[in-house]
Amino acid sequence: MSFLIPCPHCGHRSVYEFRFGGEVKARPQPAAAAAEWMEYTYTKANEAGVQKEWWFHRSGCRQWLQALRNTTTNEVVEAFFPE
Amino acid sequence: MADSSDRFTFQFDGETLEARSGDTVASALYRAGRRIFTRSFKYHRPRGLLCLAGKCPNCMMNVDGTPNVRACITPVRAGMAVRHQNAYPSLDHDWLAAVQRFDGLMPVGWYYKTMTHEWSWHAAEPYIRKVAGLGIAPEPGNGSKDYEHAWMNAETAVIGGGPAGLQAALELGQGGSQIVLIDDQPELGGHLRYRKRAGDVPAAVIAQLRSMPSVEIISRAYCFGLYEGNLLGVLHANPHAGAIERLIHLRAKRVVVATGVYEVPFTFENNDLPGVMLSTGVQRLIHLHGIKPGTSAVIVANGAHADEVADDLRGAGIELVAVLAPGEVISATGSSHVTGIRTQNGEVACDLVVMCGQRVPDAGLLHQAGGKLAWSDERGAFLPVDLPANVKAAGEVTGASLTRAMSLPPKHVPFHKRSFVCFCSDVSTADLRDGISEGFDHIETLKRYTTLTMGPCQGRMCQLAGIGACAHETGRTMAETGVTTSRPPNPSVTLGALAGPRHHPIRRTPMHDAHDQSGAVWMDMGEWKRPRYYKSASCESERSCVEEEYRAVRERAGLIDVSTLGKLDVKGRDAGKLLDKVYTNRFSDLKPGRVRYSVLCDEAGIMLDDGTISRLAEDHYFITTTTGNLDFVQQWLEWWLVGTGWDVHITNVTGGRAAVNLAGPQARDVLKTLTACDLSSKAFPYMACREAEVAGAPALLLRIGFVGETGWEIHFPAEYGEYLWARLLEAGKAYDIRPFGVEAQRLLRLEKRHVIVGVDTDALSNPYEAGMAWVAKLDKPDFIGRNALSRQAEAAPQQNLVGFVMNDDAVPQDGAAILVDGALAGRVTSARYSPKNGKAVGLAWVAAKSATEGTEIQIRVNGSTARARIVPEAFYDPAGERLRM
Repeated sequence: MSFLIPCPHCGHRSVYEFRFGGEVKARPQPAAAAAEWMEYTYTKANEAGVQKEWWFHRSGCRQWLQALRNTTTNEVVEAFFPE
Repeated sequence: MADSSDRFTFQFDGETLEARSGDTVASALYRAGRRIFTRSFKYHRPRGLLCLAGKCPNCMMNVDGTPNVRACITPVRAGMAVRHQNAYPSLDHDWLAAVQRFDGLMPVGWYYKTMTHEWSWHAAEPYIRKVAGLGIAPEPGNGSKDYEHAWMNAETAVIGGGPAGLQAALELGQGGSQIVLIDDQPELGGHLRYRKRAGDVPAAVIAQLRSMPSVEIISRAYCFGLYEGNLLGVLHANPHAGAIERLIHLRAKRVVVATGVYEVPFTFENNDLPGVMLSTGVQRLIHLHGIKPGTSAVIVANGAHADEVADDLRGAGIELVAVLAPGEVISATGSSHVTGIRTQNGEVACDLVVMCGQRVPDAGLLHQAGGKLAWSDERGAFLPVDLPANVKAAGEVTGASLTRAMSLPPKHVPFHKRSFVCFCSDVSTADLRDGISEGFDHIETLKRYTTLTMGPCQGRMCQLAGIGACAHETGRTMAETGVTTSRPPNPSVTLGALAGPRHHPIRRTPMHDAHDQSGAVWMDMGEWKRPRYYKSASCESERSCVEEEYRAVRERAGLIDVSTLGKLDVKGRDAGKLLDKVYTNRFSDLKPGRVRYSVLCDEAGIMLDDGTISRLAEDHYFITTTTGNLDFVQQWLEWWLVGTGWDVHITNVTGGRAAVNLAGPQARDVLKTLTACDLSSKAFPYMACREAEVAGAPALLLRIGFVGETGWEIHFPAEYGEYLWARLLEAGKAYDIRPFGVEAQRLLRLEKRHVIVGVDTDALSNPYEAGMAWVAKLDKPDFIGRNALSRQAEAAPQQNLVGFVMNDDAVPQDGAAILVDGALAGRVTSARYSPKNGKAVGLAWVAAKSATEGTEIQIRVNGSTARARIVPEAFYDPAGERLRM
């Protein structure tokens, strides 16, 4: 694993500067059904293809960012600060 | 050409030998008369120089303590100490060569066939390790300072300093590209340096490249891997006098691979005898080192190179006895060195056999990069095709100028136990045939079963012959048989170089030197150094020192450095809102000047960290985290802040603040001599905080009680660290104050049953089962983990964290197993001898049905079972009165 992530603040940097934060998932409302919370808490889509992920630029700007990464090629299509 | 005017000496196996400047270890040894350089991996057969290019395993030696150094590409230096490997007592007389007589007992797949019981492997392993193998690893920790790491970037990385690499570098350099050129030889020029017919070394191009500021040339460096994102692993030998090797992480926008070709041996009986060499190896000895590698030679050749090599031999004064086609050769003869070649027409005497072998593109990097290797009948080689964008091949590695030196697959394979394909681990053509007949007829399974291509040369010498033999035996074509996957590192890399220099950061608190002077015995806590306990004149053992420190806190006053606590300053209008969302306890209603404890859970309700949170002002909080979790907690808070638009700023102030905990029944008396702050319980109650000056230093005082006594955690600027530490000890002199360490603190808190998250809890622990239900405020509308916690609050617990007291003098170890009625029922998380109870006390996870007051449990201690009893309350001051005094 030695791909680059285009940090929107710092530019292209080695993935070793980042901490992986998992898939981007929408957090359910507090009153949502147990099944929905179960899904959110324990399951992962584990997409074979482009997936939206959290990354933290630990050895750089120390910001959380989101990246669209192809999990089969490790190509990062885009990285951006979430709204 | 080695310069004969500059001579110096080095050591080989204790003997002093002469070398000339320009010599490699191998050329100096060869000139001194050495012909056997190694003993083979399995059979201890004598092996001599073969490739002279660092591509085969035949000259690996121990150089200055480093094992498995390729002697043929390592420049010799004055005073160098070179030793042989895998032979006893010497290379020339190796008793272990007797192993070869038993080769019938060691067929291919020997381990799988004979080690059918676990005991058989355990019995055999120590002997096998002594008898077989390569060099011996140096003692741990030895010499890691001799390895360096470096990072580089290039627009274009050119791998290979032969004619193609030089030309590519020149053209791209003139086009304005910033270039790093990597070459594994001491001088540029590639095969032009030793193949006189191929042309002259392009001195003008080299001079031009050296004059270009945008071109950096790194010689004696090889590229062992081409990774994702065009990251190249480069190993640079002797970058300067102080370093053995430097590992360069080279990132390039574009890579030009111009690694050329290498030559591989033919397979015939005894093809591994010293004196049987590749033609390019012979040419290197003659033209680079001025060595005459024999007196009478036989050339085994099938291609265009025979004439060229014959010229070189004649020029060196070597008599050419015969030129034979590979198919004519039955075997080489001789025992420790070649003495002749046997053919169908009889034996020819000679002391040098020159193999003009098949040329193979050195395309491993291109294969690693995602390119394919496609068989070409015309070229007699697997050629790199379908290269990814930004990776190019240039020169002979493309195979464009190759000619086939032999038919492939071969029409005839001499299947013989002494006809070696793999020189690294003694795999013969017979072994391959046996493997195939046992069903391992796919090249990848054949590789794994026989270890073909898996030795230090990583298949360079054996891959083509192995594929050829496999194709021949299975009746497939070369293309159908295919190649095994290329993986980095190739060639092999020193572990010391991968590990690199020891740059482990160490963090010291501002009071570090003061602890040292007080006799601190140190322990590591993550990167931090903390005093475990203090050795003093009055105590001899760790246990007695810890007990003295413990008594000081329980009876008088003690002082501990807690600067390693993570400290976060949280400011902003919405700070309370964020803490309410992330922590389980409630903080928006906390009054300024008050402190509250909380844990932090994930969405599954698992406790991740704990700490105190003090409200300093309406929009200002101060958080402490456990020592190891600071980064995690800060990132966790910031993660939940993303996208909320809330006005919160989180600042890590851990390094900027020192902290101590002053605790004990007389802590107040000590502290009041240094501060004007009213310390009475009325003005400054338990779980309150105040900002005040202590001995003139601006400080934040938290009245909390981790150790169970009246006490203050005092946070102040790090630059006051030593000063305030000294002032507090001085003020405490009248009360016989003692500094105490982590061990006493752990005992003190254990008597109070205070949990350490991460020690007493793990990735399955929720607050309910840990007996901390009060910390989860389920009446908050939402917080991280609330959904899971609200279910756990109602579910029947599976296990519970309980306290226990031993019935006798036994002290269990942390992690000891717990039995109830003879069945496994849990484990100890912390246990210490408690002076208060006169017995060991501890915390343990116990199955819920047994976790009731008074239950008798058994704990495994030193191989036997000791009895203990579950107690519901704290072992010391269960009502918490002493904290509030």
